[in-house]
Amino acid sequence: MSCTLCCAQHSLTPPLYMAMNMALTPLNTAGLGFRRELIPALQQAVPPEIGFFEIAPENWAGMGGRSAHTLRAFTERHPFVCHGLSLSLGGPGALDETLLRRTRDFMRTHGITLFTEHLSWCADDSHLYDLLPIPMTEEAVRYTAERIARTQDILGMRIGVENASTYIAPPGAEMTEAEFVRAVVEQADCLLHLDVNNIYVNSCNFGFDPHAYLRQLPLERTCYVHVAGHYVEEDGLLVDTHGSDVIDPVWQLLSEAYAHIGHAVPTCLERDFNIPDLATLTQEVAQITRLQHAAFGEQATPQRRVA
Amino acid sequence: MLAFQEFQHALAAHLRDPHHTRRPAGVPARRMAVYNELLFNNVCGFVDSCFPVCRQLLGESRWRRLCRTFYRDWPSHTPWFREIPREFVRYLQEAPIAQPLPRWLADLARYEWAELAVDVMDVTPPAHKPQGDLMQGRVVLNPARVDVASEWPVHRIGPAWQPRQIEPTFLVVFRDAEHQVQFSEINAVTARVLALLDEGRTGQEAFEQLAHEMAHPDPQALMGFGLQLLTSLREQGLVLGTQP
Repeated sequence: MSCTLCCAQHSLTPPLYMAMNMALTPLNTAGLGFRRELIPALQQAVPPEIGFFEIAPENWAGMGGRSAHTLRAFTERHPFVCHGLSLSLGGPGALDETLLRRTRDFMRTHGITLFTEHLSWCADDSHLYDLLPIPMTEEAVRYTAERIARTQDILGMRIGVENASTYIAPPGAEMTEAEFVRAVVEQADCLLHLDVNNIYVNSCNFGFDPHAYLRQLPLERTCYVHVAGHYVEEDGLLVDTHGSDVIDPVWQLLSEAYAHIGHAVPTCLERDFNIPDLATLTQEVAQITRLQHAAFGEQATPQRRVA
Repeated sequence: MLAFQEFQHALAAHLRDPHHTRRPAGVPARRMAVYNELLFNNVCGFVDSCFPVCRQLLGESRWRRLCRTFYRDWPSHTPWFREIPREFVRYLQEAPIAQPLPRWLADLARYEWAELAVDVMDVTPPAHKPQGDLMQGRVVLNPARVDVASEWPVHRIGPAWQPRQIEPTFLVVFRDAEHQVQFSEINAVTARVLALLDEGRTGQEAFEQLAHEMAHPDPQALMGFGLQLLTSLREQGLVLGTQP
């Protein structure tokens, strides 16, 4: 559909998302966060376990030179997903429509048809450069949902919005986190990007039941899933570092999520620190595939690559 | 302002300046500390990696204090993480900074930033004839380029040597056809020629203007020098050719 570049040049398989507005996709692959540290190994060979890559447009859009060349060589051969970091969906600053337009152009150039962002904020009048929790009020739901709707208008597609990891609960909450996520996603009529590690981290840090939380989310709208490792501080606080292996309770949450979601969803392993070698990471990606097969059957996984 | 945004503004103010502002009501100190550390470390990561020489020369505690006042005082409007270092350079150039700093620091920072900027600069070389006549044709310069003109020889500054006296210096940082970043020291005349060519002149026009500016007694002699210089700049990759 919008994958004109890669399909025209290489007659490859279709992009990850056949239709931009489909909440339910039959695709069922496992992916990996695309990081510069991994590029030399990936240039040797992309393991067949990796069905797609994820990139932050803020790290790759609007670049020239060697980086742009390298990325292009990968996006021509492999499906990619865009996962935003700087949009500040719930932030008090104006929605950055220039960023959105450049993201849209970047996605078109590389044949990328899925965009997700965090349900969080990172800028007031200027940028703070990290993800912060939105006060969970009715007013914040309306405000954030409107900005998501505007984002969808500009990008010309529905986006996935991710449940974020947080360490503080802003005072004055009028609802639980799961209720907040559901309310925003439903009001904005967007899709859900489910992060099972974030659920686990928040459930430990705030003392709630992750399984009950999971069931309260609008899982039927899930378009994309994240799984990752985290760090446990000395006093037991969990920090969502994406710097360790995925732990068993998080794998279990992923299986449970698949069972509730009821349809196959692309799932990405995030690893941003203490990055091991590609073979080690691929084992975790393969674990995602095993859980996908257990939940949805092997026939759900299309053959993604020609070479 | 919407009611929930009051909390966001209070949180943002505290994150930018945790030592001089109050923690927002209802936020436990332990949890606030996580955010304070995460956000400041994140920004420091982008700044540290771009300016290794500045960091080394200032020393860790002065460097970290500078990073803190940057995060506190300089409103960065760019959503692109790779542009945080550019914001840092602008902060050094434009903001009032109470901390005493070496006079050459802002220029050294700009020189360090130029390497990153040129490496990722999103420019496409304009159409050009690589073997065109550089004196008669309009000269096409390599657009993936940052000119660094400084009162200090910033390219020689390091742990072993820092300048005490002003020494005007002209450097060009550019990306070659193989995507490699190159550094070149040029003299004041070459810097002026590049500026004249940047305005769309032929080689001959540029050197005529230069002869005029220098009140040169023998402009024709300058033309011979001009062709030599432009040919050498083309070999380096700073000049791409001429407009078709």
